[in-house]
Amino acid sequence: MSNKQHTYDAIVIGSGISGGWAAKEFTEKGLKTLVLERGRDVKHLIDYPTTNKYPYEFEHRGELTLAIRKENPVVSKCYAFREDAMHFFVKDKEHPYVQEKPFDWIRGYQVGGKSLLWARQTQRWSDLDFEGPLRDDFAVDWPIRYKDLAAWYTYVEQFAGISGNKDGLPQLPDGDFLPAFPLNAVEDYFKKTVSEKYEGRHVISARCAHLSQPRQVHFDQGRGKCQNRNLCQRGCPFGGYFSSNASTLPWAAKTGNLTLKPFSVVESIIYDEKLGKASGVRVVDANTKEVTEYFAKVIFVNAAAINTNLILLNSTSSRFPDGLGNDSGVLGKYVAFHNYSARISAEYEGLKEFTTDGRNPSDGGYIPRFRNLLKQETDFKRGYAAGFSAYRAPERDMSGIGTDLKEQLLHKNLGPWQVGSHMMGETIPKESNYVKLDKDKKDEWGIPLLRISIDYDENDAKMKKDYLEQLTGMFTEAGFKNIKANDAGQAPGLDIHEMGGARMGHDPKTSVLNKWNQLHDCKNVFVTDGACMTSTSTQNPSLTYMALTARAVDYAVRSMKKGEL
Amino acid sequence: MNRRLAIKQVLIFAGGLALLPSCLRNEGKVSIQLQHLDISAAQEKLLAEIAELIIPKTNTSGAKDLGLHLFVLKMLDDCYDKAEQEQFINGLKAFEGLEGAELKQLLTEANANKAGLAKEISQFFSIMKSRTIGGYLNSKYVMSNLVIWELVPGRYNGYFPVKTA
Repeated sequence: MSNKQHTYDAIVIGSGISGGWAAKEFTEKGLKTLVLERGRDVKHLIDYPTTNKYPYEFEHRGELTLAIRKENPVVSKCYAFREDAMHFFVKDKEHPYVQEKPFDWIRGYQVGGKSLLWARQTQRWSDLDFEGPLRDDFAVDWPIRYKDLAAWYTYVEQFAGISGNKDGLPQLPDGDFLPAFPLNAVEDYFKKTVSEKYEGRHVISARCAHLSQPRQVHFDQGRGKCQNRNLCQRGCPFGGYFSSNASTLPWAAKTGNLTLKPFSVVESIIYDEKLGKASGVRVVDANTKEVTEYFAKVIFVNAAAINTNLILLNSTSSRFPDGLGNDSGVLGKYVAFHNYSARISAEYEGLKEFTTDGRNPSDGGYIPRFRNLLKQETDFKRGYAAGFSAYRAPERDMSGIGTDLKEQLLHKNLGPWQVGSHMMGETIPKESNYVKLDKDKKDEWGIPLLRISIDYDENDAKMKKDYLEQLTGMFTEAGFKNIKANDAGQAPGLDIHEMGGARMGHDPKTSVLNKWNQLHDCKNVFVTDGACMTSTSTQNPSLTYMALTARAVDYAVRSMKKGEL
Repeated sequence: MNRRLAIKQVLIFAGGLALLPSCLRNEGKVSIQLQHLDISAAQEKLLAEIAELIIPKTNTSGAKDLGLHLFVLKMLDDCYDKAEQEQFINGLKAFEGLEGAELKQLLTEANANKAGLAKEISQFFSIMKSRTIGGYLNSKYVMSNLVIWELVPGRYNGYFPVKTA
């Protein structure tokens, strides 16, 4: 085939949450767009093999076999890697990496990526986040502020469909929401207790990417109302939650401008020394290993944070011997994540006149960050958000056998409310938390293995201690009993919120991307997935990736029209 | 259930393996395919009896009706390591030859974790009981008839009223 047949207007590497958005935006604006996905195709509705299965239709009722657990010590730790969804996760053996320090790297290599598997929590950032590094003296200053992103948040919320309340909180700006999933009796009770006894602390309905009440734009995508199945990780036959598969990719395909190529492993981005910009990408066929080059005027790298770093680091040329756009030397460094390593549970004896019926896909309540919010007030930097949820289950005395036991198993007498919370801590990006290429080891596709060296620090330990103390205090105030603080001690990575490595910043000497997510030193390459993040905030990051992507495509297309790219 | 298993079970109920026609090979073997475990037909039958004592048939189906002992074997085969499997088999051996009141007696003692009981027996029993319960609660029968599990709830009420006792 000639180069002409391999030439597009835009190339997007990756088809997950941010890649799907890049595809939608480019194709809607009329650009012939190639989306490269290293995994297999997963077509909405067609490729969700377990979606309508009952628990008893799984050979092991959902459980992992010993053989699978032994073969996959890393991914087996992920809560969603179970019999019903394990086909959407990368198996450890298939894609090895080097852990200089323990790091549970959870990946989904297929069309749609982890957008099929995410926990769907979607909160905006505020200037308390964007101004964080500058105020608290870490990382580098974000080159953008909330006002740069506000309209783009609205834009992506409207299309994706985000449920939530307008809570009027400075740390969690309101958006254009579908109705929130309501808190239950005990979540509401805790909300009331917290707002009465703690100034500046709030419990709100978790904001999530579920269609609680679809609008026309969602029906136009072929999606329908969320049916409260809470089986999202299998792929949703109703399109009830946002995924690339259900939303952005079919939308992009409808324009006629999308070419989607699964099984396409991007080895590197090709830099044209004469033109002084990138000309295309080099792709290894995942199955045949055949190498093909594709060309475009603009390239978006949306391979998921750590793999985006890998591709850039592996894209070397005489102009960029240490990786594309890495004049600063910071590429691969200042990687951070969210600290999810603590949780707390308890019981509540009150409100026994209520229980829940049906299922709440939003996960219940959300406690926005309250520590160090407006000024520094603790001995650690930044703070944490937290989940909060309550439920009741039948109280079954299973000590007997025979008819007694059987009666216990079948009765519906409910026990007390069970309550729980988990921590979502901001971590501080540091030069010493990095990913880099292994000098010798390569994978099956001839690409260097990644070495990951990421760890908690003292700030994380202090913050975790504070979370456990504060939540214990709040639970005690609410009259919860049998409070159990659990310092889970999990390795970084299992939060699946890895960020950074190609951070945004004002200064090309200390950052990789400018305020438009454009490589400072190679203007037609953009990074709008987690790799671009200068700091991590406490909010779940995906909504911000969506907004950054839509904004960056808009800028890229405007620049192209002006002949600037 | 395949035809061979069906015939075999009829024969077992009819009075024992001696009646098996010669066309049925492996007559001494367990009726489901297992990768690691070596279980005899007699052990399988014993496990069925034990499961039935844990969850008996009443006016609703019990362990035998639901084949829960086969689920226990499947889980034991696929989800436990060799040492645990061996402990299970060794524990099971203590029950071999027992029936009726004697079988129930040892089972009751195992359930009470009676002092002086061999370690293998409690290890066997803990897996046997928890997996029988799991198989029961996750069976099609229970999930469709007794404790209904909904694939598509389509609703959420956080203030669902319940009678307080």
